[in-house]
Amino acid sequence: MHVEQQQQTVNNAKKADKKRRRCLAIIKSDCDVSPSDTPTVYLAILNVGLSNGLTEESLLEAAAQTGGSVSEVAMLTGKSYCFLVCCSLEDSQLVYTGMHNVSTIGQQGAVAYLSYVKALPTLAGKSEWNKPLPSGLIVLPDFVSDAEEATLLRSIAEDGRSYEGTLKHRHVKHFGYEFLYGSNNVDPTKPLEQSVPTACGFLWPRLESFSSSWDWSTPDQLTVNEYEPGHGIPPHVDTHSAFLDPILSLSLQSDVVMDFRRGEAQVQVKLPRRSLLIMSGEARYDWTHGIKPKHIDVVPTATGSLTTQVRNKRTSLTFRRLRRGNCNCSYPTLCDSQQSKVPQELSTLADQAVSLEQQNVHEVYDKIANHFSETRHSPWPLVAQFLDSFEPESVVLDVGCGNGKYLGCNAHILAIGCDRSQGLLAVGQQKGQNVFRCDCLSVPVRSSSIDGCISIAVIHHLASADRRLSALREMARVLRPGGRALVYVWAKEQRRNDRKSAYLRQNKAVNKERTTEQEQRQKQQHELEQRPQDHVSLPVHTNRTEFQQQDVLVPWKTKDEQRTTFLRYYHVFEENELEKLVAQVPEVELTKSYYDQGNHCVIFKKIAVCTARP
Amino acid sequence: MKLSTYNFLTSMAIKGVKVGFPLKLTISKKELVETEFNPTFVERLLPKLDWSAVYGAAQVAELAEDIPAVQPESIVDNEQLLQKLHHLLFEIDVLEGQLECPETGRIFPITDGIPNMLLNEDEV
Repeated sequence: MHVEQQQQTVNNAKKADKKRRRCLAIIKSDCDVSPSDTPTVYLAILNVGLSNGLTEESLLEAAAQTGGSVSEVAMLTGKSYCFLVCCSLEDSQLVYTGMHNVSTIGQQGAVAYLSYVKALPTLAGKSEWNKPLPSGLIVLPDFVSDAEEATLLRSIAEDGRSYEGTLKHRHVKHFGYEFLYGSNNVDPTKPLEQSVPTACGFLWPRLESFSSSWDWSTPDQLTVNEYEPGHGIPPHVDTHSAFLDPILSLSLQSDVVMDFRRGEAQVQVKLPRRSLLIMSGEARYDWTHGIKPKHIDVVPTATGSLTTQVRNKRTSLTFRRLRRGNCNCSYPTLCDSQQSKVPQELSTLADQAVSLEQQNVHEVYDKIANHFSETRHSPWPLVAQFLDSFEPESVVLDVGCGNGKYLGCNAHILAIGCDRSQGLLAVGQQKGQNVFRCDCLSVPVRSSSIDGCISIAVIHHLASADRRLSALREMARVLRPGGRALVYVWAKEQRRNDRKSAYLRQNKAVNKERTTEQEQRQKQQHELEQRPQDHVSLPVHTNRTEFQQQDVLVPWKTKDEQRTTFLRYYHVFEENELEKLVAQVPEVELTKSYYDQGNHCVIFKKIAVCTARP
Repeated sequence: MKLSTYNFLTSMAIKGVKVGFPLKLTISKKELVETEFNPTFVERLLPKLDWSAVYGAAQVAELAEDIPAVQPESIVDNEQLLQKLHHLLFEIDVLEGQLECPETGRIFPITDGIPNMLLNEDEV
């Protein structure tokens, strides 16, 4: 029995050693950190990290049980290992012997393997505790006494006339003005019956040395937040236009760690119980602040080591003063006043149209060019017929030629194509076609020089009626008098005379009644919700179903293994909408309009020379 | 870019530009593509072309002696000139080079045979 146990111990140690070597090899190749045979203050936790569910808190708790002090923790995103820096060699040895092959902090209680290493990986970055505080951020510890804390809490609790509400993760109470969470603002015309409690009055004289440089000296709005342990508040900036500078926050009943973020920069700030936080200038305007929803915080001790601290119920008193006007701070990034300002000469719609087309048309076509091109090979018969109707030696311009599939249709004409997408143009160029890159709103072609124009499935990508009209005007401009153009756009209506368009007919699952369009929509909605990185501003169409809206994003799924979904913007046309646009171009007359497989189509002819460019 | 395409391109879309034609062509790399000579095609296409840009292109393409500065009144019987025009307009493919706006100096690069005539939002 005794021998068996010994054997088991030896086997266990062998297994640990083997695993440790494998993990060390990974760390060496990942971040060039080498093991050390002699003890150092640097410890690698080899088989547990952020990627398999380890938290900084549980690691520190495990380390604390060994009696060794830790000064720094380096958790690396997406890695199954992490690092500790101990306060001294002695601490390091305590943690090592106490945790290696002992501590069950791994997944499902698996044991952790440790090794001394020569240094921390360079990518571990600087500890978030040793960074300077954001400019304008001040924490005044012991700002109120225990007795004053009790008085404040009592006066708030006793006041029955304030506005109360419960948010998803915390209980709130407002004085002076209600903070409206829908708009993240206040209504200055609707003061609450109860103003900021007079019991808070003793606080302001204590701030006189600071408030001489502030926008205000006494607040007119107070929001009380009650956080139960485990509750937090997402990173936010107090709406610039709502409140003046600074924002004050008094922490009562519990310490907490607040995270400040600006771009990549992140600073953690400990807010001790009974301390006052002052956020002014850059800290008020340009940094977000938030509290992670956790039960335990990692905090630095007075001796410079890190420890964990259990949160209690915490009450924060946020004192602010209403701005009653626009903010003109020097930090426009998070400034609602400055971000919402629209240049006078640009209408909001046109402004959005440009960025929408850039993101959801141009960038998408560039990314899907090759796959898209593979799916666009056979010319639509009625388009080919139009091209064949030109006399030999005619010059025909294809506006939005894509991969150039129409440029070779009629060998007796000079066909030239243009498009926005470099990727698609390259396909046409390889086939020896004449192509150049431009936008369909400014076609770089001589006026009245072209015999014919086609623009197939192009102007439905333009995000305003003005821009769609401008595209038609450009075609009219380059046509010679007597020249003809054919324009195809996608129709909202994908059914004619009770017959589905080719687009709908390809939805085999629905046609065979294995599913419904509604179910497909639901499924897609769910898929989209899994992609939080997308900020989807428009309704997303479900492919091969009827359109529900005119301005939609249409998904394009790549064929590769990733099956990435790209969203293309379309304005699908109502019946007669295209004809009405053509009627607004005085130099042309409508010759024919028809419906072809889910598309609205027009042919128009130039009757006069355009007088001026629009 | 074939020199027949070049004949239609202008920079007039740039704000403040009146004509923007002919664009100043620079060729740094070209390729010769042999295509079937169709005299009728060239002859009937000529009225749609701007002769000054045809002549200008010939100079840049080092074919100045082949093309007269002034467009001949009749060309139907001048098969030799038609052949030379065919070569100039359809057989020279500009792979790398640039087009320059004659009024503003704005450069439009030609890369892999494709002129990039895209303008920035603030240029139009």
